[in-house]
Amino acid sequence: MTDYIAGGRKIADVPRTTAATGTPAVTRVIVRRTGPPAAWWGVVMLIASEGVLFAAFIGTFFYLRFNDPAWPPPHDPSPTVVLPLVMVAILSTSSGLMQLAWRAVRQGRLAATRLLLVVAVIVQSGYFAYEVHDFSDQLHTLPIGRDAYTSSHYVLLGADHAHVLIGIVFNLWLLWKLARGITTYRANAVQAITWYWHFVTLLTWAVTATVVSAALR
Amino acid sequence: MAIATPPNSAAAERMELLAEMWQERPGILGWFTTTDHKRIGLLYFWTTLVLFGAGGVEALTMRSQLLEPNEHLVSPNTYDELFTLHGVTMIFFFIIPMTTGAFGNYLLPLMIGARDMAFPRMNALSYWIFLGSGIFLYTSVVLGVAPNAGWFDYVPLASRQFDPGRNIDFYCLALIFNGIASTLTAAQFIVTIFKSRAPGMSFNRMPLFCFAMLAAAGGLLFALPLLTADTIFLFLDRNVGTHFFDVAHGGSAYLWQHLFWMFGHPEVYILIVPAFGIATEIIPAFTQRRVAAFPLVAIAELLVVFIGFGVWAHHMYATGLPTITAVFVAAATAMVIIPSTIQVFAWCMTMVLGTAQFKTPLLFIAGFIFMFVMGGLSGIMFVAIPFDQQVTDSYFVIAHFHYIIFGAAVFPIFGGMYYWFPKVTGKLYFERPGQISFWVLFIGTNVLFFPMHIVGLLGMPRRQYTYPAGMGWQSYNVVETIGGYLTAVGILMLIGNLVYSYFRGAEAGPDPWHGPTLEWTTSSPPPAYNYAVIPRVSSAYANWDEEDRAEDRRKLAAGILVLQEGHEQAAVTPVDGTFDEIVEMPHDSPWPVLLALSLLLVFFMLVLHKYGVAGVMAIGCVVSLFGWHSKEPQES
Repeated sequence: MTDYIAGGRKIADVPRTTAATGTPAVTRVIVRRTGPPAAWWGVVMLIASEGVLFAAFIGTFFYLRFNDPAWPPPHDPSPTVVLPLVMVAILSTSSGLMQLAWRAVRQGRLAATRLLLVVAVIVQSGYFAYEVHDFSDQLHTLPIGRDAYTSSHYVLLGADHAHVLIGIVFNLWLLWKLARGITTYRANAVQAITWYWHFVTLLTWAVTATVVSAALR
Repeated sequence: MAIATPPNSAAAERMELLAEMWQERPGILGWFTTTDHKRIGLLYFWTTLVLFGAGGVEALTMRSQLLEPNEHLVSPNTYDELFTLHGVTMIFFFIIPMTTGAFGNYLLPLMIGARDMAFPRMNALSYWIFLGSGIFLYTSVVLGVAPNAGWFDYVPLASRQFDPGRNIDFYCLALIFNGIASTLTAAQFIVTIFKSRAPGMSFNRMPLFCFAMLAAAGGLLFALPLLTADTIFLFLDRNVGTHFFDVAHGGSAYLWQHLFWMFGHPEVYILIVPAFGIATEIIPAFTQRRVAAFPLVAIAELLVVFIGFGVWAHHMYATGLPTITAVFVAAATAMVIIPSTIQVFAWCMTMVLGTAQFKTPLLFIAGFIFMFVMGGLSGIMFVAIPFDQQVTDSYFVIAHFHYIIFGAAVFPIFGGMYYWFPKVTGKLYFERPGQISFWVLFIGTNVLFFPMHIVGLLGMPRRQYTYPAGMGWQSYNVVETIGGYLTAVGILMLIGNLVYSYFRGAEAGPDPWHGPTLEWTTSSPPPAYNYAVIPRVSSAYANWDEEDRAEDRRKLAAGILVLQEGHEQAAVTPVDGTFDEIVEMPHDSPWPVLLALSLLLVFFMLVLHKYGVAGVMAIGCVVSLFGWHSKEPQES
């Protein structure tokens, strides 16, 4: 029975995954698995769906731009260029930290995983706090309802910041889970959320580039 | 030979153990916490059937209003609400949830030899959100502020200036809310097909129904966000004062149409593709022959949806598009003929080459092929841009898309109801009344929709609540209305047959049709764990592979691949179906329904413009999510 071959593989070689707890068991499972788990596929679906949503937002921005001879309209100020790009560069480092956290959890290094996640959350929260502050500052001088340019400008930024916030909540949840050690379920979650953060980083670059492009009058 | 009955006493014990392990909370409460794909499929089925009734009543009211010239059965404003609700209900609250939510949920895991979906709790969440969105939409009817600018809701008509009530706010939020449910279902189906197939079921061994579900899910996943973006813009334009669609402030009314139809046309193919899938199951069952040109049909199912993403602007020929755009889109539209025709020929060839037995389900499929060809032929006419510009917004268009959406997309649903009724209930329906219900429906549908071609060419515009006498339109409208009531009678006969059969039908046994796919190997209705042993699959017609089924029985007797150590399911690699892991599945959970409930409250607060309260309610969603994930599979 133990050497029965099903679906091209000996049953004895097939890991029982989500039930595995304890660091050695988890590392063994991840080594024996040949493809990504359902959790990874799930987050890829989320990324696909969100990617189309932002493609629609960014597409709208340029659609309106190319319909309008003066963009942004002359009475609107140009967006700042350097600081937003610097901020995205800072946020991008957290993507690397997440990748390292995923590597650490694969190797069963719990303390390193937690530490990397904490540092990532600090970077991400710092970015988020600055952006929210900047967003409300901009709203004071340039109301969202002035014209189509301001509308798409704020919707793009607002939607992007919301995704950063969701990512921070994900990471806090991860830290809460990892307080009780490593399981395959949690390792899968670290992988999935790492991918989510890579997506958010790319998204933030795309959104920032779009918003900043309005400086080219 | 089915494995519904245990081959020896050890196997019987194993099956009992599995039944105990997969047992959910009993009673009414169990339906609220269930994560069993079959029960969720049934919940979807009943809910969509009720909404189908609502959409049908709306349609019949409109037909009654149009019976005579200068009729005043309903007011113009009520008529606007009726056709808007009819469109929104039938598309978003009947066909999509019926095909994916009900048929897909119930059958997909059975056909791929799985014990449940890849994410069972998310599956439950998708149903409860869908139910919430239905309640949300119909609350607007109770309050007298139902959406009233057509299902495609063009601006500027739908802007605050011309539609100041909450009607359109309900439209925007209901579709966003409903879109969440459909996106969850779509993600669920794709991951389930990639990860949860029985080990050894490589892609070329997967039933065609599953390819159709994959195509529909892929379409939904990529198309819905466009609608979500569009409705978010409209909601903001109406309530926050943005100017996306406001030409006076740099916005564009075209933007709405582009985004809407970039979603809307793929959506039309998403409606029809599951019907293809159902046809490709029923035809082999009643011809006892494998579908001709299997790989071509599988590719064609995927290709229909893929091409569907490039044809949106053929809804916009009358808006003054640049000629180059119009011609490109016309060419892309003509391209859809290729995968559609491949399938039509494959279905017909299978029926000709096999021994076709025209029982009720196959009759419905034959009717479907007829209507699909009819609707396809009028569809080809729209490729000719000048012709399209002549008949746009006339009843000719209504005739075309009802042949496709009712004749072609809904007939297989009816056929599927008859075909899988024995599997779901364990009872046989009554054959002769079933066939009569088909003929009533077939004649009713054609009497209802065919005259619309003529009256459309005579110039009758759509969405007019009445028309003057002496236009030569009345006799056609009378015939159409009679057809409408005949169709309703046919549907009632169908439902009556199934309800009566549920109580009085003969026992069906596990496999009354000698069906081609895996679901016919298990008992009717299937046990909570679906299959006592993970089935061996060496072709897409697994139930006809006698050796494999005998092997399953041997394995059950020997206790191989029963996965009785836990609440477990096999997971595979996406393409080859190599056995990759054994995953622990979550048990039933109260969190999905609670999360959907708090989301419903959030949407109600949004439509009342109480954004602060909505934010507080959103905290309820976060709490539900934390509760949801507080218990891991190995802890429960």
